Amino acid sequence: MLFSRRLVLGLAIVGTLAGALALPALAGEGPTEVDLFFPVPVDGKLARDMGTLIKEFNETHPDVKATAVYTGSYDDTLIKTRAAIKAGKPPAAVIMSANFLLDMQIENELTNLDALIKADGTTKEQFLGQFFPALQGNAVINRSVYGVPFHNSTPLLYINADKAKEAGLDPNKPPQTWAELTDWAKKLTKREGDKVTQWGIAIPCAYDYCGWMMETLTMSNGGRYYNEEFGGEVYYDTPSMLGALSWWNDLIYKHKVHTPGATPGPAVSTSFISGNAAMMMLSTGSLTYVRDNAKFAYKVAFIPRNVRNAVPIGGASLIMPAGLEADKQKAAWTLIKWMTSPEKSGWWSRATGYFAPNMAAYKTPEMVEFLNKNPDAKTAVEQLDVAKPWFATYKTVPVRKNLEDEVMLVLNGKKQPKEALAAAQKAADETLKPYNAETSLKLP
Amino acid sequence: MKLFDWLYKDAPLATRGEITPKLGFALTVLLAIVWLIPFLWMVVATLRPASDGINAMAELMPSLKPTLDNIRDAWEIGDFPRYTLNTTIICAGILLVQFVTITLAGFAFARLAFVGKTLIFYLFLMQLMLVPVLLIVPNLKLVAQLGLYDTLTGVMMPFFASAFGTFLMRQAFEAIPTELEDAALIDGASLLQRIRHIYVPLSMPSFSAFAIISVPSHWNDFLWPLMVINSPDKRPLTVGLSVFTKTAEGTQAWGTIAAGTLMVIAPLLVTFLIFQKRFISSFVTSGIK
Repeated sequence: MLFSRRLVLGLAIVGTLAGALALPALAGEGPTEVDLFFPVPVDGKLARDMGTLIKEFNETHPDVKATAVYTGSYDDTLIKTRAAIKAGKPPAAVIMSANFLLDMQIENELTNLDALIKADGTTKEQFLGQFFPALQGNAVINRSVYGVPFHNSTPLLYINADKAKEAGLDPNKPPQTWAELTDWAKKLTKREGDKVTQWGIAIPCAYDYCGWMMETLTMSNGGRYYNEEFGGEVYYDTPSMLGALSWWNDLIYKHKVHTPGATPGPAVSTSFISGNAAMMMLSTGSLTYVRDNAKFAYKVAFIPRNVRNAVPIGGASLIMPAGLEADKQKAAWTLIKWMTSPEKSGWWSRATGYFAPNMAAYKTPEMVEFLNKNPDAKTAVEQLDVAKPWFATYKTVPVRKNLEDEVMLVLNGKKQPKEALAAAQKAADETLKPYNAETSLKLP
Repeated sequence: MKLFDWLYKDAPLATRGEITPKLGFALTVLLAIVWLIPFLWMVVATLRPASDGINAMAELMPSLKPTLDNIRDAWEIGDFPRYTLNTTIICAGILLVQFVTITLAGFAFARLAFVGKTLIFYLFLMQLMLVPVLLIVPNLKLVAQLGLYDTLTGVMMPFFASAFGTFLMRQAFEAIPTELEDAALIDGASLLQRIRHIYVPLSMPSFSAFAIISVPSHWNDFLWPLMVINSPDKRPLTVGLSVFTKTAEGTQAWGTIAAGTLMVIAPLLVTFLIFQKRFISSFVTSGIK
């Protein structure tokens, strides 16, 4: 009798509990069980919508049992997927931020989908032909298909039409250039003495969002964020990026028409909905939220240009991690094709505000009716004509953060654009070094 | 001054005329108010109807027409009783095993003599410097190899041994006079009996202090359970809550988030209120030693 009876009993209970919890599910002759990892990048109700979608899939496909596993933000989803792959427990399918595919392919973490497409009796061209051309850049790597576009977005300019009219501006003729936008923002900013009671414009800057907005501004300033053909180069310290960041900086510190500091996305949308900011640049993924909550007339417009009209796509694609067993692969492929079909793609688009990547979705009667009722949902689709792929490099997240950290310093008034971009470039070059050493700098 | 008199009723008679304790009390009250504001805001936002508009969300003034809609929404989106049960199992399981491991390890470092004791102790303490995020992949690999992926035991496993707890118990045990142990030794008590009847009862305040640190930190842990757990019915509170708070591309339903947050912290808050006196005294006593 070393320890008291109570302690031994306690340990016994813990032990049994642990054993019971650890008991693996018994594999039987039932349907193939697959996990689908999904992030929640927009409003929370999305998790409930995902539940509805997967329930319908399981009811119509008795030979597959899919479980939707919530996995946090886009960045958390990447961490969880990678950890699960390394632990030998890869999920069968993941809704993965479209710009992480290249990095995962470089690390050999993705299943090449070419063989599955071929086995269906379709060619790659036919398969990709279902989706908007702008989305294919992030799904195809070295001419092989690695992802299936699921929900996608472009940045939009949201305008509070009531406030615009009040300021003598015509919301039906939204600003088309940066000069016009600056002008609008000035007219829409209201001051009482030194205190601003209404801001002209808000642009979000938080991890993930900030890099995307920088790509948006740089592209409309005529530039590029990264090398679209090769994962080892980013163009931070360039005139087009400098112009973009300087303009953003000017909106805050020179014209004083933009909320000061680096503002996260939810704060931007809240401030727009509350009338505290008269315009905002935000993803079309927030459109349903704005539609449901705005108590005023609003307009959505293209992102204004300085040099050219151009925007990056955003959103996510469905991927299959490497190393899946054949039956799981087959089940996941069924699930992926079902989720990206015109009907489901359209349903998801109406629920969230993301646009449907499958072009045929816009021919379904439900979608035609929906667009007639909500013409604002068309803008993002029209903007696709000038859309280009989302930045994707080796180690996308760290390389993106190299820029974001510096941009936040600028927006918070602690650094000037020029020195910040030089520092960001230096840091990114350092992050990209191992990949470049193995590829472009490795000479035969 | 009525307020001060009321706050003062417990103060020792001799100090009532002095100014420093008064300042101390005033500062404490101020800190308490600062701490209370976000909490009050959360309660107010939870009860505020959506019809008040998002503008009113930032206000501390409660709505005239309070509603339970937000609580209902949060309740429907997440399976809160299940999440609470899971979190409780995780925290209690970790703590129980930790008590055993830190007692034995702490005793070894405090009282036993063995080769390389100091070196091993410092190596042990080095674990405190490691950010847990660094160990996610190796830990997950191990958990999966043991067949514990997607189990609550898998979530608990990496925390069964605690460097901080070992350190805390070593300090507590070292403060206990060896004469007590010698007396027990003369009476023929074995090693484990000595630990059980002398060291453990005399270190109770340190055990409670450790529990206060251990439980909330695992209660609030997000990333590690997110990595291990797949099944929706095994989610702990933090992961369940984040289903409607983690956002990147835009928008938030503040009322629902406030309601969810309130539900998550409520069990800890109630526990604290019930055991308030004991919590405070355990920190005070373990600190003095």
